[in-house]
Amino acid sequence: MLERRLYSLIDWWLLTAIVAVSAIGMMMIYSTTYDETSQLVSNKLITQGYALVAGLIAFSFFMFLDYRVIANNSWVFYLAVIVALALVLMFGDVVGGSRRWLWFGPVNVQPSEFAKIALTILLAGYFAERSLRGVTFINLAFVGLVTVIPFMLIVREPDLGSAAGLLPVAFAITYIAGLRFRVLALLVMLALLTTPVAWTYALEDYQRSRLLTFLDPAQDAQGAGYQQIQAKITVGSGGLTGKGFLQGTQGQYKFLPVAHNDFIFSILAEEHGFLGVIVVLGLYLFVILRGLEAARSTKDRLGAYLVVGVISSFTFQVVYNITMSAGLLPVKGLTLPLMSYGGSSLVATLAGFGLIANVRMRRFTN
Amino acid sequence: MSQELFSVRRNRLAVRLSVLRLTVTVLMVGVALSYWFIQVVQHNKFQQLAENNHRRSVALRAPRGILFDRDGTVLVENRYSFDISIVRELTTDLEYLINKLVAITGVQLRDVQDEIDRHSELPEYQPIVVIRDASLSQVAAVAARRFELTGIAIEQVPTRRYRVGTSAAHLLGYVGEITADQIASLDFAGLTDDAVVGQSGLEFTYNQLLMGTDGRRQVIVNSVGREVETIETNDPINGTRLQLTLDTDLQNAAEEAFAATGFSGAAIVLEPGTGEVLVMTSVPTYDPNAFALGIDMRSWQALNTDDRRPLHNRALQGRYSPGSIFKIVVATAALEEGLVTPDFKVRCPGSGVFHGQRFFCHLRGGHGELDMQGALERSCNVYFYTLGSMLEIDLIEKWAKKFGLNQVTGIDLPYEAAGLVPSRDWKQEVNDEPWYPGETISVAIGQGPVNVTPLSIAVMMATVANGGIRPIPHLLKAVDSGNGWSPVKTSMGGMVELSSETIQTLHEGLWRVVNGQGTGRRARIDGFDVAGKTATSQVISLEGRAKVEESNSEFEWRDHGWFAFFAPRNDAPELAGVVLAEHSDHGYLAAPIARHIMTTYLAKKDGRPLPEFPRPQTPVTTTNLVTEP
Repeated sequence: MLERRLYSLIDWWLLTAIVAVSAIGMMMIYSTTYDETSQLVSNKLITQGYALVAGLIAFSFFMFLDYRVIANNSWVFYLAVIVALALVLMFGDVVGGSRRWLWFGPVNVQPSEFAKIALTILLAGYFAERSLRGVTFINLAFVGLVTVIPFMLIVREPDLGSAAGLLPVAFAITYIAGLRFRVLALLVMLALLTTPVAWTYALEDYQRSRLLTFLDPAQDAQGAGYQQIQAKITVGSGGLTGKGFLQGTQGQYKFLPVAHNDFIFSILAEEHGFLGVIVVLGLYLFVILRGLEAARSTKDRLGAYLVVGVISSFTFQVVYNITMSAGLLPVKGLTLPLMSYGGSSLVATLAGFGLIANVRMRRFTN
Repeated sequence: MSQELFSVRRNRLAVRLSVLRLTVTVLMVGVALSYWFIQVVQHNKFQQLAENNHRRSVALRAPRGILFDRDGTVLVENRYSFDISIVRELTTDLEYLINKLVAITGVQLRDVQDEIDRHSELPEYQPIVVIRDASLSQVAAVAARRFELTGIAIEQVPTRRYRVGTSAAHLLGYVGEITADQIASLDFAGLTDDAVVGQSGLEFTYNQLLMGTDGRRQVIVNSVGREVETIETNDPINGTRLQLTLDTDLQNAAEEAFAATGFSGAAIVLEPGTGEVLVMTSVPTYDPNAFALGIDMRSWQALNTDDRRPLHNRALQGRYSPGSIFKIVVATAALEEGLVTPDFKVRCPGSGVFHGQRFFCHLRGGHGELDMQGALERSCNVYFYTLGSMLEIDLIEKWAKKFGLNQVTGIDLPYEAAGLVPSRDWKQEVNDEPWYPGETISVAIGQGPVNVTPLSIAVMMATVANGGIRPIPHLLKAVDSGNGWSPVKTSMGGMVELSSETIQTLHEGLWRVVNGQGTGRRARIDGFDVAGKTATSQVISLEGRAKVEESNSEFEWRDHGWFAFFAPRNDAPELAGVVLAEHSDHGYLAAPIARHIMTTYLAKKDGRPLPEFPRPQTPVTTTNLVTEP
């Protein structure tokens, strides 16, 4: 299946940029989990290393297997994820107030991370087989249904941040597939009308309080607002060139909680300053534009939809997390793809980029 | 699917991809600009906030200076005590923490709550001391539960210890937390509201010297307030050590004598040549150790509402009628103004009529004919009524002022009161009445509107002993800021110009009070020429007295007894002073106290064992009213 010609078409630039961002991520995980007294490399760094290897394997798998074959089996992926999410709700361990993980021996997996790619494959395959005349209401109903099921399962964990990551996938693929502007306008209006209802019935107390805290962080400086304030202080105190690797005070003295996870970018900003921020932002922008380039280059709609689905959720998370890391958006459990600590996220993200490389590699054959 | 339709759709796809690309690029640029704004434009602000997060400045209390007496005996030193405080920043549930602390230490919930409320303005990270001088068991109880009591800190602080307890309490003073008014004043610039400063006595006067300079330790703390690292330490600079002029042995002798006689009152003994205060006591007294850790409300109120006013320093805040001691002023005035010579004689028949009113001598039978020395010796009122009527009030006022009886002596202690010497202007101002010549007659024997502090009388006796040189009494002898002792310069208060004839007459007359047929014989010491003057200070007027006597003489209406003295009576007087025994009725009961101080002085000087106070010869009925000093 792997022809020599295809091999030469592997997007090495994209892969290099992705690995570079992951490596910077690991460097920051090292900094945030470094224990001066024991002088040991933390378990988290080692776990992340394994995850990177697993992610590269997933990348290869989703690159070399022809994406049409993958799309033909979209339901398999989708249903597997739905089942896993249901299992999480039934058997998942409660960590920090929510059930997010399934344990397979020594490995724990966060199925919600894989929901995005499963939804991408399902929707891309669906629209690729539909007419080119535009998106019908029946199409929209289908999109809504297959999105809402995993969305609700993840919200129930509860993990609003991960659930929200599904929405850009559904939206972007539908948009690219030809969603008309008046339908778009209608959807926006519908969303606005349902917001108060969702506020009252769909959100948990902690979610409401987080949103309220965002609007006025000072009112709850010790609670949810604390993270937001500390994040801003962390980023702002970094300055132009940063305090130096392992020299940040906000991260090293634990003023910023879960720094290795949701707020890893804040620590990057603290220790490496605005210059470090620009470098990493540049890498992310490169990865995103390079991914979209694959969508443009392919003659195949399926390929384009796959790429857009993957890139949209990736971009959404990157932009949201980085903005949140500067205290400019409400704190949600939304990790920074490629950099934050978390194996499932890294593997799922790399699998997604495997699909993009797949589409690009086969742009002349399909 | 037609090829044409597909290409249209492809174009639309390309357009929509471009929209996405543009959107992403705009978003990323927006994010970059946000970071630039926070990291570069607002950097200083956030840098400061980050510093505040992890840097703390911990005050290191400077121990206050140690006080020594003139022989080098330690009077006031420091000990280390434990303060338990609450750091509000480190606790999420202050209520719970306070209740827990109260439960394990057994202190009053209200006291803790009050302290927190009182300092609610302080920044959250600053500890608020809620238990001062915690007991070892309290410290142990808190330390053992350190981990569940996040937000409670134990700090070791230097605390004042008055080794001599109640002795010399009024002059040593006490310390207390700085008051709001003090923080606002320039004298205490730079102090925070948990500073402990002198609030009374020498602790107050020399607070600036005694305080030293607090040190600071700059530390890095982590997010739970644990100290991770010390960046910089500025050690505290100990307060200056002070050597006082006080003589503990003499001070003890005075207090012991007061305790034995049961009187309240005051005693001051100076070195006439220098003004150095050897003894200063005020009875009843209090224990300044109670203030060292911040006195509690109940004790403070008890001290303040006590009828015997233990906080009141009678030596320099009490104003008493000088009685016959004032005859020294009148005699001096008459001689120096040239109205009479020392051999001016008056015949005392027991009373005399002046300005149409009869005034009595204390000896109803009369003293017979006396010259000035004899009049001083026997304290004859009629003699001094006569001098008074010759002098009139203006000249008496002039000489009382020359002796400094109307002003503060300038001693290095706070809250000194000035005496009152009446004058025509004073009377006009206060009573809106002219001065009546008859009033001068009372003033001539130290009654009427004359009020003086015991300290001003001690200074007058020193002035007489010195032949006119008026010293400024003071308690500070030398200071040591760490480079060895350097003596404090002293200066004289002024000069009362007296002729040698006047000096001779006063010295001889006063010597005869003690060594002749006078009222001060109980202060006589063989081989030590004590000169002195007793006095009875009327608490109420003679008319009032009559009424009180009818209704079974109340203790508090009894007259005060004075004994003012200097010794030896020669060119080199060593001691001058005064003893005031409140409600002792007669001055001759104050004399034994003065005598005991002087015999102790002599014994110490000669290296003999210090004497015990002899049992009082007259039964004393007032013991139950006075606390032991």
